[in-house]
Amino acid sequence: MDLTTVTIEWYIALSAILFTIGALGVLLRRDAIIIFMSVELMLNSANLLLVAFAHHLGDATGQVLVFFVMTVAAAEVAVGLALIVAIFQSKKSIDISEVNLLKG
Amino acid sequence: MNAFGLAPLLLVFPMIGVIFNGWFGYRFVRADAKVGEKWAGFFSTGMALLSFVIAVLIWVSLLNDHHSHIIPLFDWFNIQGGLFRIQWAFQLDTLSSTMLLVITGVGSLIHIYAIGYMHGDKEFARFFSYLNLFLFFMIILVTGSSYLMLFVGWEGVGLCSFLLIGFWFDKPDGVGWANSMAARKAFVANRVGDFAMILAMCLTFWVFGTMDYEPVFESAIEMFKAGEEVVLPWGTYSLGAVLKWITFLFLVGAAGKSAQIPLFIWLPDAMAGPTPVSALIHAATMVTSGIYLITRSNVLFEIVRASGDSGHLFGNISTPDLVAIVGALTALYAGLVAFTQNDVKKVLAYSTVSQLGFMIAAVGMGSYIAGMFHLITHAFFKALLFMGSGSIIHGMEHGHHHLHDHHDDHHGDDHGEHPGEDHHDDFDPQDMRTMGGLRHKMPTTFWTYMVGSLALAGIFPLAGFWSKDEILATVADNPDQGAVFTFVGWTLTIAAFCTAFYMTRQVKMVFFGEGRHEAVEHVPESNGYMTFPLVVLAIAVIFAGAINFPKIEFGGGEQAYAGVLAAVAPAEEEEAGLIPTLALEHWLEHSIESYYLTNKADPPVLEMPHWPTTLNFRVAIQSSIIAIAAIVLGWLFYSGWSKEEPFAKDRLEAIPVVGSVWLFFQSLPFDRLMINGWVETIFKPMAALSERLDWDFWHDYVHNNLIRDSFISVADVLSNAVDPDGVDGVVNGTGKLIGAFSTQLRRIQTGNVGNYALSLFIGVTVLVVYFIFAS
Repeated sequence: MDLTTVTIEWYIALSAILFTIGALGVLLRRDAIIIFMSVELMLNSANLLLVAFAHHLGDATGQVLVFFVMTVAAAEVAVGLALIVAIFQSKKSIDISEVNLLKG
Repeated sequence: MNAFGLAPLLLVFPMIGVIFNGWFGYRFVRADAKVGEKWAGFFSTGMALLSFVIAVLIWVSLLNDHHSHIIPLFDWFNIQGGLFRIQWAFQLDTLSSTMLLVITGVGSLIHIYAIGYMHGDKEFARFFSYLNLFLFFMIILVTGSSYLMLFVGWEGVGLCSFLLIGFWFDKPDGVGWANSMAARKAFVANRVGDFAMILAMCLTFWVFGTMDYEPVFESAIEMFKAGEEVVLPWGTYSLGAVLKWITFLFLVGAAGKSAQIPLFIWLPDAMAGPTPVSALIHAATMVTSGIYLITRSNVLFEIVRASGDSGHLFGNISTPDLVAIVGALTALYAGLVAFTQNDVKKVLAYSTVSQLGFMIAAVGMGSYIAGMFHLITHAFFKALLFMGSGSIIHGMEHGHHHLHDHHDDHHGDDHGEHPGEDHHDDFDPQDMRTMGGLRHKMPTTFWTYMVGSLALAGIFPLAGFWSKDEILATVADNPDQGAVFTFVGWTLTIAAFCTAFYMTRQVKMVFFGEGRHEAVEHVPESNGYMTFPLVVLAIAVIFAGAINFPKIEFGGGEQAYAGVLAAVAPAEEEEAGLIPTLALEHWLEHSIESYYLTNKADPPVLEMPHWPTTLNFRVAIQSSIIAIAAIVLGWLFYSGWSKEEPFAKDRLEAIPVVGSVWLFFQSLPFDRLMINGWVETIFKPMAALSERLDWDFWHDYVHNNLIRDSFISVADVLSNAVDPDGVDGVVNGTGKLIGAFSTQLRRIQTGNVGNYALSLFIGVTVLVVYFIFAS
């Protein structure tokens, strides 16, 4: 395998690593901001893959889709940060283990 | 073009009247008595008149076509493909048409009369509602095409009779109680007859398999011709032996409804009802349904008569003979009791019982036309007399009220010895002893009453003369019929004497002499609503004899009376020439099958006695002499009743031997026999039986041991085992199970976002893996 040439496999591997880091971050961390960043990481791993495949397959559809994803991510950030601010104002903390009102 | 299809309207109109007055009329009367009475009264009367119009249309149609017409409405019962099928159907023939005309015609007049009579009664609308209901049921009774339909009407008129006798059940001072007791007595006495009717119907159905008149009569005749025997579950009998019991039960039923011995005791008490009721129900229509029943069933009765030995109930008395004997004895007994009554309506009540006895005797002798003829004329003159008596009572009440007001106005300067409790308080407006001299006060009532009572007494040429004579002539024209006819003939002749005598007594006491009470001075004539029907009926009574004039034949055995005959005959011949003779007979014979089977069949199937067709001069003159003698005797006996002593001994009571007989009859021996003797005798052992056997033994055993104990043990199991363990277990167990499950289930709801995210992640992963490998 020619390590100097960056093939599609590289992109897939990087995307998988990024996604795994993001998923683990969401599942394991307690700080809301970190979780938020991890979500962004997962979104961007998907974006990376979309762009890579678009390039690889010579089809612009994937690249167009990335813009949509980024738009949605921006909107999500706005809503999510607002929620975090609201939680912080009532709890004086953004540790999500303390937010357990849904406990049965 | 005929009007038979209109028959259902006969029932529709009275029912509309019932509904109108039952639902709206009383509100109108309550809102405004004057206007409301007009509405209620005229509406009801209009409905009765419309029924009369329909009855006339049907009559006109029957004039062109004498046959019986069956108008079916719908199936009432229809079980197992016609095994038991009763149709709700009208049978329109000459007999039912005749009854319809009498019921709706006299009924309409009495409705008009009642508008005047019931004026001021707060239950005005209820009264008219009942009257229309009565017409409804009476029309069912006479138009039904089967015994069951007849029974519907039979029970219905009994109910209306009960309701109307007890109409004033809420009068104060125990009067209302007495009224409702009278109503109950009527109902219970009728029940005995009704029970016999039910048995008769069951037996009829058993033997013939149907209750419709025509199939029953046809198969009865076929069986009689063929000499077939009747097979009943417990044995085989000849047709005559079965029919004699059916007809005997019919007689008991008729005795209840038509007030014959031994069940007549209710009719005199029924006078507690308002007078229009007495006129309509207890004189003209309902009480004649027994005669209608026997006339309708003439074939069955005549088969019994023709059956010889097997038709004999006891000795050599067959059922028709028994009918005649019962009728004659009732006629005589009630006639004798009527002598002793001082209540103006009670006299007429016993007179009605007596005249019903004449009719029953006539139909018992097979002279169905004479019975129906007397039924019609009696409906006219007895309705007239009752309404006249109502007018008298009304007048006496008015006079008495006037007297009271007068006294109250001048209380201070009047006698004033007994203020507040003078003798007027126990004034009875129906007591003939306090009347007298009313002919000047109430001229219309007086003249119409005279026509009615002369007709009842049987004076030529009024209606009662012709009809009563036809009954008596039946005896004379059938010399070969044996001892029963002779006995009935003599009994009826004596009863006719009684009739003329007690009517003279009544007329003399009420209208002649001088007033024996101050109230008489203030009696007004009744209003137009009341006098109009009186005048109409009086005219009807004068001419009603024309519906069945006998033929006049000269010579033969009548030579002995040649002199008298010459004086009477020209007038009669002229009348007979103008009006067709025997109109009613030619009309009704189409409905009386026995007539054809006796006279037109070859060889004759039945042996019905002859119907009198020619005027029997011997009977006519004999009964005229008897009637005139009775009137003269009555007049002499009751002249000069003292004004000072109105409550002195009755003139007959004052005579040594006659007086004790008079007192005997005044004490109502038959009522005592029935109430104290029969009812007590039956009642005591029955009460003992019911207390011993029913209460102590069977009642206690059944109730305590069988019903209560088994109930308790079952209930014990149910309440201590089934309910806590079974029902509660299921219900509570379900609840507990769900509680336990949800306790476990809630543990997965941690509230921790990470957990939710993890489960989401796992879920997505599982799905992704599934889709990858599945495709």
